[in-house]
Amino acid sequence: MLQVFGIWIAALLTLAIYSFLYKDNPFYKIAEHIFVGVSAGYWAVILWFDFTWPNLFEPLIREGNFIYVMPIIVGLMMFAPLIPKINWLIRIPLTFTMGVAMATVITQRVQGDIIPQLHATFLPLSGVSPPALLSNLLIIIGVVATLVYFYFSKEHKGILGVGAKLGIWFMMVAFGASFGYTVMARISLLIGRVYFLLHNWLHVI
Amino acid sequence: MKRTLPLIIVFSCGFFMIIAFFVPLRGFQDVSQTFQNWYTGVIAFFVFIGIFNLVKVNLDKIQRRLRDWQYSIILLAFLSMMMAAGFIGGREGGIFLYMFENLQIPLGATMFSLLAFFVGSAAFRAFRARTPEATLLLVAAVLVMIGRVPVGYWIWHGFPSLVEWIMNVPNTAAKRGILFGADLGLISMALRVLLGIERSYMGGGKE
Amino acid sequence: MNILDRIAELDRRIIFLLIGLAVTIPLLMPIGLPVDITKPVKDVYDKVESLPKGSIVVVSVDYDPGSEAELYPATEAFLEHCFRKDLRVYMIGLWPAGPALGNLALDSIAPHYNKVYGIDYVNVGYKPGGMIMLLSLGRNVGDIVRADYAGTPIDSLPLGRAVKSASDMDLVMTLSAGDPGVLHWIIYFKARYGTPIATATTAIMAPQQYPYLSSGQLVGLLGGLKGAAEYETLVRRKARAVAGMDSQSIVHVLIVIFIIIGNIILVYQRRVR
Repeated sequence: MLQVFGIWIAALLTLAIYSFLYKDNPFYKIAEHIFVGVSAGYWAVILWFDFTWPNLFEPLIREGNFIYVMPIIVGLMMFAPLIPKINWLIRIPLTFTMGVAMATVITQRVQGDIIPQLHATFLPLSGVSPPALLSNLLIIIGVVATLVYFYFSKEHKGILGVGAKLGIWFMMVAFGASFGYTVMARISLLIGRVYFLLHNWLHVI
Repeated sequence: MKRTLPLIIVFSCGFFMIIAFFVPLRGFQDVSQTFQNWYTGVIAFFVFIGIFNLVKVNLDKIQRRLRDWQYSIILLAFLSMMMAAGFIGGREGGIFLYMFENLQIPLGATMFSLLAFFVGSAAFRAFRARTPEATLLLVAAVLVMIGRVPVGYWIWHGFPSLVEWIMNVPNTAAKRGILFGADLGLISMALRVLLGIERSYMGGGKE
Repeated sequence: MNILDRIAELDRRIIFLLIGLAVTIPLLMPIGLPVDITKPVKDVYDKVESLPKGSIVVVSVDYDPGSEAELYPATEAFLEHCFRKDLRVYMIGLWPAGPALGNLALDSIAPHYNKVYGIDYVNVGYKPGGMIMLLSLGRNVGDIVRADYAGTPIDSLPLGRAVKSASDMDLVMTLSAGDPGVLHWIIYFKARYGTPIATATTAIMAPQQYPYLSSGQLVGLLGGLKGAAEYETLVRRKARAVAGMDSQSIVHVLIVIFIIIGNIILVYQRRVR
C-alpha cells in the first residue's frame, strides 16, 4: 500500500515537472523546490553518516585520536564569515585545500594524462596495414592541427593558417559527434521517465 | 597576517606535496598522506557550509517577503523533513529511504529529462548548416545519431563501424588536442595559485 | 503564407508532443530492432569474463538521479555479470546519491545469485574528496573507509578486511556522470596504482573517453543507454535498456527529420531574400 502511494507521488511529481512544457506554473515551482530541499537534506545526512562521523568525529571522540582535531578545526573555519571580526579565517581552509589540490594536479596531470596521451599519439607509420596507416596519420595530423589552432601567440597565416583551418575541421567532426551523443543522452533520460510512467505507474508495459 | 598566512599555507602545503611526490622517504610520505587525509576531512565542511547558506538565503527570502517567498517555505520544510528522517531514523531508516526513492529519484530524473524536449525544439529551429564548418558538424552529428542506435544497424550493417571509426580517429584526435591544451592550462593555473599570483579563490576584501 | 513559412512558425509545444509520442509509442508497441555490439562494450565484457572466481571488482557509483535513466540499467547489468562469474563486488561512491542507487541495484540482483552481504559484496557508501580521496584510497583503504553503508565497522566484514589497498583490486568499474568520476579514476588512481579501469558513462561524456580507450588507460566503455543495452544483450538480460532502444531509434530519426526540415527552410528563406 505504501509502495503504491509512493509510486503515485513519484508519478504526480513527474507530471508536475512536465507541466512546465506547456508553461511555467505553481505545480512545477512546488516540485522544483521540493527537489532542492530533499536533495540538500539528503546530502547533509549522507555526508555525516558516510564520512564525517566515522572518519573525523568518531576517531576523536571514541578513540581519543587527537590528530583528527586539525581537519575539524580547519573545516569549522569555513563558518568564520558568520562572525565579521574573524571573517578572514575562511582563507585558511580555502588555501590549504587549494595547495594540496593544485600540487596533486601538477604532478598527476603530467603522469596520468599528458604522458600517456603523448605516448598514444606516437603511432606507427610503417609495418601496418594501409587502413591503419591512414587512421594513424589522421590521428597524428589531427592532434597537431588542433594544437596549432589553439596557438594564438601568432596570427593564423601561411602554414599556421593551414594548420589552424585543418584543426577546425577535425574539431567540427568531434563536436558533431559530441552533439549526436548529447541528443542521445537527453532522449535516454526521457525514455527512462516514460518507462517509469508506463511500467511502474500505469502497468501498461 | 590576514593575507600573508594563507599565502604561506598554500605555498608550503603545495610545494611540500610536489617534493613528496619525488622523494620516497618515509617522513615525506607520512606527512603527504596526512595532508591528503585532512583534505578529505576539510572538504566535507564545504558541503555543510553550502547547505547552511541555502537555508540562510531562503530564510532571508521568507523574512523579507521577496518574490516567490512561499516556495522557500516548501524548500525548507522538505529539507528539514529529510534531515530529521535521516538523523533520527538513520540513513537506512524507512522514511529517509522512502523519501529518497519516491521524491529525490523521480524529481531528479525528470528535471534532466526536460532537456530532451528542448533538444528537439532546438534541432528544428537552430541547427542550421550556415557555413561549411557547420555543415560538417551537422553531418557528423547525423551520422552518429543514426549509426549509434539499432535503426542505423538495421539500415546498413556497416553503419556502427563507420561511427566507431569517426569516434576513434577524428574525434580522438581533436579531443586529445583539446585535452593537451586544457591540461597545460590547468597546470599553469595551479602554479599561479601555488605561487600566490592567482588569489581570486581567497575572496575579496581590503585585507 | 506558404507551407514552409507555416512550418517555420510551428508552435514548439507541437514539437514537444511529437517527441513525447515518438518515445511512448515504441514502448507500447515494440519493434524489436536488433542491438549491435560495439568493441568498447565487448572489451568490458571480455575483461570481466577473464577474471578468475573470487576476484575483487570495485564498482564506483558516481552518478545521481539525474543520470539514473542511462546508468542504472548499466549498473544492474554489470552487477549481474559479476555475480554470475562469482566475482566479489566492493561498492563505493564519489557522488552522494550514488551508493544509494547502487544499493537498489544490489538488492535487486544479489538475491538471485544467493550472494551474502559482507562476504560476496559490500557497499562502503559515499566518500567526498574526489582526486585526493582516490590517492589515499589506493594507498591505504583504511584511511578512507572505516565503516560500510550501514555503519558496520569495515574490518568486521570479510570482504572489508580483504581490500586494504589498490593491489587488492582486480578491476575498477566506474559508472560515471561527471566530475568526480572516470577521469579522476584514470588520472589519479590508475596512473599511480595501475589498476585496470572500465567505465559506463552518460552519452554526453562518452566521446571524451575515446582518447583514453585508444591509449589503453581504459579497458572499455559503455556509452549511454545504448552501451547499457549492448551489455544487457551480452549478459542475456533484456531489461530496461534494451526496451528503450526502439524509442531511442525512432526519436533519433525524428530529430534528423527536424534538422533536415529546418535546413530546407533555411535554403528557402535565403532564396526568398
